[in-house]
Parts: sequence; structure tokens; C-alpha cells
Amino acid sequence: MKQFEYTIKDPVGIHARPAGLLGKKAKEFEGTVVTIEKGDKSAAATKLMALMGLGVKCGDTVTIKIEGGDEDAAAAAIEAFLNENL
Amino acid sequence: MDYRKCASEILAGIGGKGNLVSAAHCATRLRLVIADNSKMSKDTVENIDGVKGVFESAGQIQIIIGTGTVNKVYDEFIDLAGVQAMSKEDVKQAAASKAPVWKRILKTLGDIFVPIIPAIVATGLLNGLLGGLSRAFPSITDHYVYALLDMFSNAALTFLPILIAVSAAKIFRGNVYLGAVIGMIMIHPSLVNAWTVASGAETSTLWSWFGLWNIQNTGYQGHVIPVVIAVWLMCKLENWLHKHVPEMIDLFVTPLVTVLVTGFFTMTVIGPVFAQLESWVLMGAQWLITIPFGIGAFLMGAAYAPTVVAGVHHMYNAIEASMIANNGQNIWMPIATAANVAQGAAALAVALKTKNKKIKSMALPASLSAFLGITEPAIFGVNVRFVRPFIAGMIGGAVGAAAGSIMNVYATAYGVTGVFGFLITMDCTVGYLIDFVLAAGVAFAVSWFMGIPEEAENGGKKAEPALAVAAASAGDAPAPVAPAQAPAACDAPAKNEASEFIIASPVKGKLIALEDVPDETFAQGILGQGAAVIPSEGKVVAPADGEISSIFDTKHAVGITLANGVEILVHVGINTVEMEGNGFEAFVKEGDKVKKGQKLVEFSIDKIKEAGYKTETPVIITNTDDYASVEKIADDGDIDALTDIIKVSK
Repeated sequence: MKQFEYTIKDPVGIHARPAGLLGKKAKEFEGTVVTIEKGDKSAAATKLMALMGLGVKCGDTVTIKIEGGDEDAAAAAIEAFLNENL
Repeated sequence: MDYRKCASEILAGIGGKGNLVSAAHCATRLRLVIADNSKMSKDTVENIDGVKGVFESAGQIQIIIGTGTVNKVYDEFIDLAGVQAMSKEDVKQAAASKAPVWKRILKTLGDIFVPIIPAIVATGLLNGLLGGLSRAFPSITDHYVYALLDMFSNAALTFLPILIAVSAAKIFRGNVYLGAVIGMIMIHPSLVNAWTVASGAETSTLWSWFGLWNIQNTGYQGHVIPVVIAVWLMCKLENWLHKHVPEMIDLFVTPLVTVLVTGFFTMTVIGPVFAQLESWVLMGAQWLITIPFGIGAFLMGAAYAPTVVAGVHHMYNAIEASMIANNGQNIWMPIATAANVAQGAAALAVALKTKNKKIKSMALPASLSAFLGITEPAIFGVNVRFVRPFIAGMIGGAVGAAAGSIMNVYATAYGVTGVFGFLITMDCTVGYLIDFVLAAGVAFAVSWFMGIPEEAENGGKKAEPALAVAAASAGDAPAPVAPAQAPAACDAPAKNEASEFIIASPVKGKLIALEDVPDETFAQGILGQGAAVIPSEGKVVAPADGEISSIFDTKHAVGITLANGVEILVHVGINTVEMEGNGFEAFVKEGDKVKKGQKLVEFSIDKIKEAGYKTETPVIITNTDDYASVEKIADDGDIDALTDIIKVSK
């Protein structure tokens, strides 16, 4: 399992569009489960409703956990996505 | 990931090929029915590379593989296991397409006839009764009530081609009204009635078809097959045109061309070909009954019912009329009676033997009608559908007709058969009775003992074909074969077993397709499939009972998880997140339970527009991947809140 932290820079946080795009990115890695944790709540990146339900806002720090499949590639891709979009 | 390896390990893990009953898959899971659960090692399967989880539900082993992967594993799996991949529909279609052509044709004819049987039975019984009464009491025909009832009694049979055309258009998936038009053309009052032509009325040649054959000015009353063929052609043409004619002109071009081409082709080719076939049948029938010693009658008694199927039987009036004119002895009528009551008796056997109430309720009146001389309901509605009763009827008809012929039974008039035939066979009542009883008895017995196909007998309760049926023979299968379920939502297996949900609109306004939303992310369905509304009222209501899963601080989007597991995101406007809540007011918070129609959010359409944003409001099923399909079911245009707009199918 790989894990890293990320602090949201986007002023509106993980709202519908970035959540959808993040889910899409996570789906690119078959057999890999991407989980986003904020405080004691967590959500699979592919579960849009749960992800939005985290209510991640600008300045929040989230933990991203990547499990299974090609973890290194998935982690790199997700991190790049976050830097670019959030 | 190696799909084949994953599949072979799963197969080994569930106890091998022999333990597999059926396999199917949904959006994320492999769904297996296995004979003996103890032969499966759950731990082994769970640890297979590519398997994310295993559990048991509703008698199925569900193995979570994942979206986009499960189908590939499934393909390998069924290949390895030697089972066939089939959807339920495929199984049905395959079953239908495996049947010989003639069987499929008969089935289609039956399907067309069944819906119109009430109409034929109603008027057919009346027709038979009136025919009988008028023979017994000839004076009643002068009464105006008789005239009225007589009109009722022949309405459905006179206009039969229209009824058939409508039913056929439905079966062949064309426009039923265009189908009706084709039927009307074929029996248009401008054409000379085929029944009267058969009885000697004058007809004329309309046109010589390029010198090849003559088009007679004769209608197609009483015809079945030419109508069915004409409507089949019409539906093919209509559907082809719908696909190829530009939408703008489709509404007037397609019906016009359909009716024009079908009508013309019907009157000039299909009709005349059948008219020719009919005249040959007529000649053949006339020759056949001249064979002595009851042999000719035997053959004709067998062939009679098939000629009813072909719809050429109305020509027989001509034979009977010429016999009466010749020596006053109508030896045709006992043959017709034998054939008709035999079909009725064969249907009666079906009615008494079947446990299927629907078939029973149809076969009984159909049988009664046949005894009175109107055989179409029994033949098309019951006997040809199950084939064997039809053959039983042919055998009975042959035996009865042969007996009648040997005893030289004749009628002194024509126009009725069956029970009322006694009224016109006063010279040889006993012979006619033997003819009648023998035909009915033999047909009934053969129909009863030759067996009605299982489907009719056990009430059609045959187990639904499994999605994939293990190739192992029945003897090898250790447990009853359980039908596999249709793909169902994977993440809410226990919540609701319904296979589809209709989602109402949370917003009032103009409905548009999701693809038409001016934003790529939504339009491409990245957040899920659904529809969108351009709101005319600034209010979002709950489309069904559920729970608020997410509502943004900016209040521009609200996520609801319905009781049935469907997750809906209502996103008011495009990029309205940037308005930071200005113009939006929320009435619920995360975790709130909401009732259908409850107000969730109010927003100002004007403020959104003033701020320079689009108001298109996507309504999205965010867990689209859990379902087999999510589709917009309402047409574009103005809708009220809570109008049904989306169908979610498992």
C-alpha cells in the first residue's frame, strides 16, 4: 500500500467536477483501490457521492491511500492529478 | 492482470467445472450459481489476484472483480468452464431461432391471432347461432332484429383483414394505424367482395400487370396470409424508412411511402399470387373429392384445416354452390364439418388437459366456436401454436370425412357446418352424426394422448433459462439447476430486488439530454449518466425518499442517496460553485432524511444568469456503474418537478 498526504489548494475544494475527474482518474487503474481520507471519514475515489460527502475544502489536508495493482504508477498519476486540479 | 489465470483460479476455487451450474456477471461482479457450496473454498477465491471480495447472496456466489475487468474475466471463465454465455433474451431468441422456419411462422401466426380471438369468438358464435336458427325457423330472417343481429354477426369476419393487419403490425413492430390502412385497402368497398365473387358475383380485370397477369377487382375478405405478408412487408419498409429518412421530413414521407409502396405491391403482387394459389387449391380440392371409397374425402378432411390456415377456405362456397345446382347433394359440407369439429375437439382436449388458466380460458370458447363452424379461434389461437393438437385435428377430420363419404352423407344446402349442420342434413341424420362424432372423438383422443407440449400442460412454468447453462448433461448435474438472475446492482443486493427504478425530476423546467449540457465533464457522463433540466423555477425538491449524502457549502449541488440505493446528484447550473452560495439557500443538511417532493434548495435563476453562468442543471446518477443502464425516458421539453425522467435498470 502506498500513502501520501495532500493539502487542497483549489478554493472550492473537492466539489462535483473535480470529484468526478478524480474518480475517472482512479478508474484508470484496474485492480487498484484509491481511498481518500479526511479526519476519521474516508471514501473510495470512485464513489462520487461518498467522495463529495467528505466535504473537502480549500486548506484541508487529506490522506490518499493506494492499494493493489500498480501502486506506484497509480500514486504518481493521482498526485499529478491533485497538483494540477486541486 | 491475467484474466485467464484469474478465471481458471476462480473455477478451481469453486470446485471445478462439475460444480458450476450457471454464470453471469453484472457491472462489477461475477455471479455464479454452484451446485455444492461446500466444495468451494472462499478463502482461496478471495486471495486470487484480481478478486476483491467474495460473498454469498440469494443463492449466488458473487465475486467482486471490478468495472471493466469483470466482463473480461467472465469471458475467460465461461470459455474455461465450457458454458455458453447468454443473456435471458438471447436464450429466448436462440430457442426461437433454433425452431424450424415453419414452426416459427406458425408461432407468429398464432401470436397475431390470439389478441383478436375475442372479436372472432363473439361474432363467430353469433354467426353460428343465427345460421342454425334461420335453418330451423326460416321465417325469422324477415324480422328486423334478425337483420340487425346478422349484421353484428358478420362484422368481425367481414373486416377480418383489418383486425389481422392491426395485430400483425403490432407483432412486427410497425405503426398499427398504417397496418389498419393496409387491411382496409385490401377489403375496400370499391373492390368486389371476395365472398360474393366465390358465390358467383361478377368481378372485372382492373389492370394487366405488365402483361404478366391480371389484377382482379376483387377484395381479400376472409384472407389471412396475404394480409400478414403485406403487413410484414409494410413494417420492414416503415422501419427502414424511419432509419434512413431525415427526421425533418420523416413524419410525412415515411407513412406516405410506406402505404403507397406496400399497398401497390400488395394489390399487384402478393394478392394476385395468392388468388392464383387459391384457384389451384380449389381445383385440387374438387379433383380430390372425386376419388372414390372415402379416400378422397379422407385426404380432403385432413387437408381442410391447413387450407383454413392459408385462408383459402372461403372459396369452397363455390364448390358447394355448384354441387347444389348440379344434383342437390352437397357432399362437401360433411367433410368441412368433420374437419371443423375435429379442430374444435382437439382444442377441447387442450382446454381440459392444460393447467394453464390462460390457455384454458382461450381454448374452451375457441372449441365451442369450432363446433358451431367458426374454426379460426381454435386453429390459430390454440392448435397451431402447439402443433400437435392441429395434427390431431387433421387426423380426426380425415377419419370423420372418410366415414361420411362412405355412408354417402350429403347436405341439401350450404353455409353452415358443425352442430347446425344437422339442420341441412335431415336426409341422413345418422350418417352425419357418425361423421361428426367420429371426427370429434378421434381428434379429441389423439390430441389428449399425443400429448400437449409441456409448456401448455404445466402452465408455462418452465424455469427461466439460466444466463449461462452448464454444458454438463442433466444426469451429471448434482443439484437442481437454479436460474441465474439478470444482472443486478452490485452494491445494493439486499436493499431492493426490483430490477428498475424510475427517477423523477427534482426541478421544474425544460428537460434536455445530458449530452446537451454545455459542459464537457457533465456531457461526457464522467460524473455518471442522467439528464438535465433548464430550470424555470428556482427550487430543487427530493425526487424520492432518501438521505442527503452531500451538500456543498456553496449549496449549488446536492447529493441524495435513495432508499433503493440509487445515488443522485443535482447540480444547479454550470460552474456555479464560483458563486460561493450567493443566490442559493439550502433547507437540508448532510445526513437528513428527506421525503419525495420535500424542498432541498432554493436558488435564484436571475442571479445565476446575472453572474454569467448557465442554468442547465444536470441530474446525475453518480453510481451509474452499479447498473446495467441509466437512460433518460422522457422527451425533451417542458416538465414539472417530479415528472419521471430517468430509468435505472439493474
